Amino acid sequence: MDAGLDMRTTGTKSDDSILSILRLIVQGIVSIAKSHWVTLVNFWRPTVCERYPHKDKSLDYKPGPGYKGDFALITDKEKGRLRCIACQSCERACPNHCIRVVPAGKGKDRYPAEFYIDVGLCMNCEICVEVCPVDALTMTPDYECSVHDPRDLIRNIKQLTERGMEFDEVSRVR
Amino acid sequence: METRSDLRTEELLINMGPQHPSTHGVLRLVLTIDGERVVQAVPHIGYLHSSMEKIAEAKTYRQYMPFADRYDYLNAMGNELAYVRAVEKLCGIEVTPRCEYIRVIMAEMNRIASHLVYFGTLGLDTGSWSPFLYCFREREAIIQLFEDTSGQRLLYHYFRIGGLRNDLPSHFCDKLAEFLDYFPARINEYNDLLTNNIIFQRRMQGIGYLSPELCRRYSVTGPNIRGAGIPYDIRRVVGYSVYPELEFDIPTRPEGDAYARHLVRVEEMRQSVRILKQCLEKLPEGEINVKVPRRLKPVVGEVYERVESPRGELACYLISDGSEKPWRLHWRAPSFYNLQVLPELLKGAYVADTVAILGSIDIVLPDVDR
Amino acid sequence: MDSSLIFTIGNALRTWLEGLCRAHGVPTLVVDILAWGTGAVLVVVLGLLVALFVIWLERKVAGYIQTRLGPTRVGPVGIFQTAMDALKILQKEDIIPRGADYWLHLAGPVLYFTALVLGFAVIPWDVKATLAATVDLNVGLIYVIGVTSVGVLGVVMSGWGSNNKWSLLGAMRAAAQIISYDVPLLLALICVVMVAGTLSLTRIVELQGSAGILGWYVFKPYLWLPFIIFVICGTAEVNRTPFDIPEAESELVAGFHTEYSGMKFALFFLTEFDHMWFVGLLGATLFLGGWYSPLGAADPIPGFVWLMIKSFIFVLVLQWFRWTLPRLRVDQLMGLAWKFLIPAGFVALAIVCVAVLFI
Repeated sequence: MDAGLDMRTTGTKSDDSILSILRLIVQGIVSIAKSHWVTLVNFWRPTVCERYPHKDKSLDYKPGPGYKGDFALITDKEKGRLRCIACQSCERACPNHCIRVVPAGKGKDRYPAEFYIDVGLCMNCEICVEVCPVDALTMTPDYECSVHDPRDLIRNIKQLTERGMEFDEVSRVR
Repeated sequence: METRSDLRTEELLINMGPQHPSTHGVLRLVLTIDGERVVQAVPHIGYLHSSMEKIAEAKTYRQYMPFADRYDYLNAMGNELAYVRAVEKLCGIEVTPRCEYIRVIMAEMNRIASHLVYFGTLGLDTGSWSPFLYCFREREAIIQLFEDTSGQRLLYHYFRIGGLRNDLPSHFCDKLAEFLDYFPARINEYNDLLTNNIIFQRRMQGIGYLSPELCRRYSVTGPNIRGAGIPYDIRRVVGYSVYPELEFDIPTRPEGDAYARHLVRVEEMRQSVRILKQCLEKLPEGEINVKVPRRLKPVVGEVYERVESPRGELACYLISDGSEKPWRLHWRAPSFYNLQVLPELLKGAYVADTVAILGSIDIVLPDVDR
Repeated sequence: MDSSLIFTIGNALRTWLEGLCRAHGVPTLVVDILAWGTGAVLVVVLGLLVALFVIWLERKVAGYIQTRLGPTRVGPVGIFQTAMDALKILQKEDIIPRGADYWLHLAGPVLYFTALVLGFAVIPWDVKATLAATVDLNVGLIYVIGVTSVGVLGVVMSGWGSNNKWSLLGAMRAAAQIISYDVPLLLALICVVMVAGTLSLTRIVELQGSAGILGWYVFKPYLWLPFIIFVICGTAEVNRTPFDIPEAESELVAGFHTEYSGMKFALFFLTEFDHMWFVGLLGATLFLGGWYSPLGAADPIPGFVWLMIKSFIFVLVLQWFRWTLPRLRVDQLMGLAWKFLIPAGFVALAIVCVAVLFI
């Protein structure tokens, strides 16, 4: 190992006078005491943990409106049918190709016979919601999507409609 | 030093990573060590390659937006900013002033969040555990605001071509102002805990020396080059978006060692707070979105748009062939360039220094491999 | 329960057994061996239980320092967490890496553990704890240092025997560290010995207790410097942050116990935390008046409890160190020992010399 390299990596210039060593010791003790003070202060600060999942579900965190969680199809309550007209815009717009819509009916009565969304493939970009011409699809603040079988991650029209019952409009940030 | 000729020592070849607690992901370093000294270090990258650039060629300009978040996950807003600016430049779209301000707010908040992660993980690398948790506590405040605004906590997809997903939520400005009030005091506290701690100082000072000449040769950017004394910051050099209207300093340190880089990052957090305060004051009212055609077909051409990410010069290079999809997209990822200089820095360092030096140049592996 | 009651029962039992032996012509040595055996088993079991408790405490302290909660789920405030972890680790597969030296790999943790447990033999638990739980050696302090230093051999064995370069590096660091830090530690202990005039731990405690709380060595100004050196070296002896370079998680993966799993790993783990408690016990014995109560002789609380409280003060301080300080680099670690602590030890020795001569 050549000397130049040593100087560079062992770093700090060594000043060996008694005074500087004493200064170093005092400085060290003060800085270490300060560090310990910080941890002591934080010991008494309130903890930030949330003990998810709670036995009492009402204590669980609820994201605000506009959160990009699980999907829902909105039902038009007056007409008593899904808003979706099965135009397949979302299917085409999805970057990950995780939506599949099976249309049925003709013209004004066009409706989705099946509507699959693979949540496992989805990257929550919300492009599908944005391209929807009739605001029929929404992302909900529902974030508990974990399942034991990956096949359960594919949402079908029944699940989507059920979850959409609470929604009259697309969930947006206010 | 002389050794007896019949005594023989041997260098040890040791494989650091891809599975190692402090290679910040899956970097693999092949170290040749002589006792505790590193004689040679060879980084191997590519374990996180995800063809982010190739994907762009198969997606429309809008569809690629969420992917831009994903390669430098600590700086998702900054990546979006680079991409969205490149596309807007290509299509000749002018966004509204309010939109520009909100974008800058988001980018600066993300810079603070990213530097907080850096601060915490450097603490872990040097064996101090608590700063990590404290930094994540502060970062949580920022992440919560991001979540309220964009609906996601890490990969936001908040910027849109020609605007934003939505306006700021009603409580945003108050919450942010509250955070900006207490955050500088917290920085002081963490400085007491880590930065000014004598053990940390003695460990970081004088290791991983990066000379200005070396920076230029390897095109190192960001806090690393500013830690070597060169005030090179894209926010100043190019002055994109509303940055020319804002007052802030470019912190530099002349020493060029790991500790200087650390100090620069800490000071940058303060400067970001300053920028954010000004932004909140100047935030204009008005529309956030401009009208953009539904089918986006830019003219044939190419653009190269640079922004300052927390890790350095981040640039998006787009070539359009006039279709809906980019013909080619290239990311000038700062981590990739900064990592190249690592073998130079590690020569002659201690094994313990390798993790500290690696931490001090602050790489994000998906950003390196893309 | 009053410790004197245990003592009475124990003595009665012993007398009865001795009578039994004499009646049947068996040498009373058998009773002694039985008594010592019982004492030894009691101490080892106590050590393991305390280790489990210290691990839980560490996690709780770390949690609250880092504004977290620590373990909460198993039992009230998570108190059974480590017991469950121990049960889990018992079921784990015992992995021996290919190319490892089987016997060294096996002997490492065993030696590490045994060396520490032997040290417990001379700790004076209570004023009346001659119930074979304490061996009152007249060279007790030398015995403690000698026996616990053997532990590092276990570390070196496991580091070498694991056939892993990280382990080897950790073992080499451990050897260098223990050798370096034993010197200032001994210098600090010599100061205590000079003041006490004896090497017997029991006698050192008795000498401190004779003058009430102010007789404790920690309250003698000329022993402050040795006390500080003792705390620093004690932290280094138990390989804890800021001196945890043999394991150095972020550098050496896990250092010398990288390749261990199952019960062997548990031995390392338990020993490490037991060692911390042991340093606490030693510190309490040497500097904080051992089993003596700070309230004076009239205190109804048994001395054993006071010893536990005092040792846990040390444990908490060591935990506070760990969750605050960054780790030293290997050269700085050596520098601290040889450039600062050993000269400081000699200075302390000189001060104590003067103090002993003139006070």
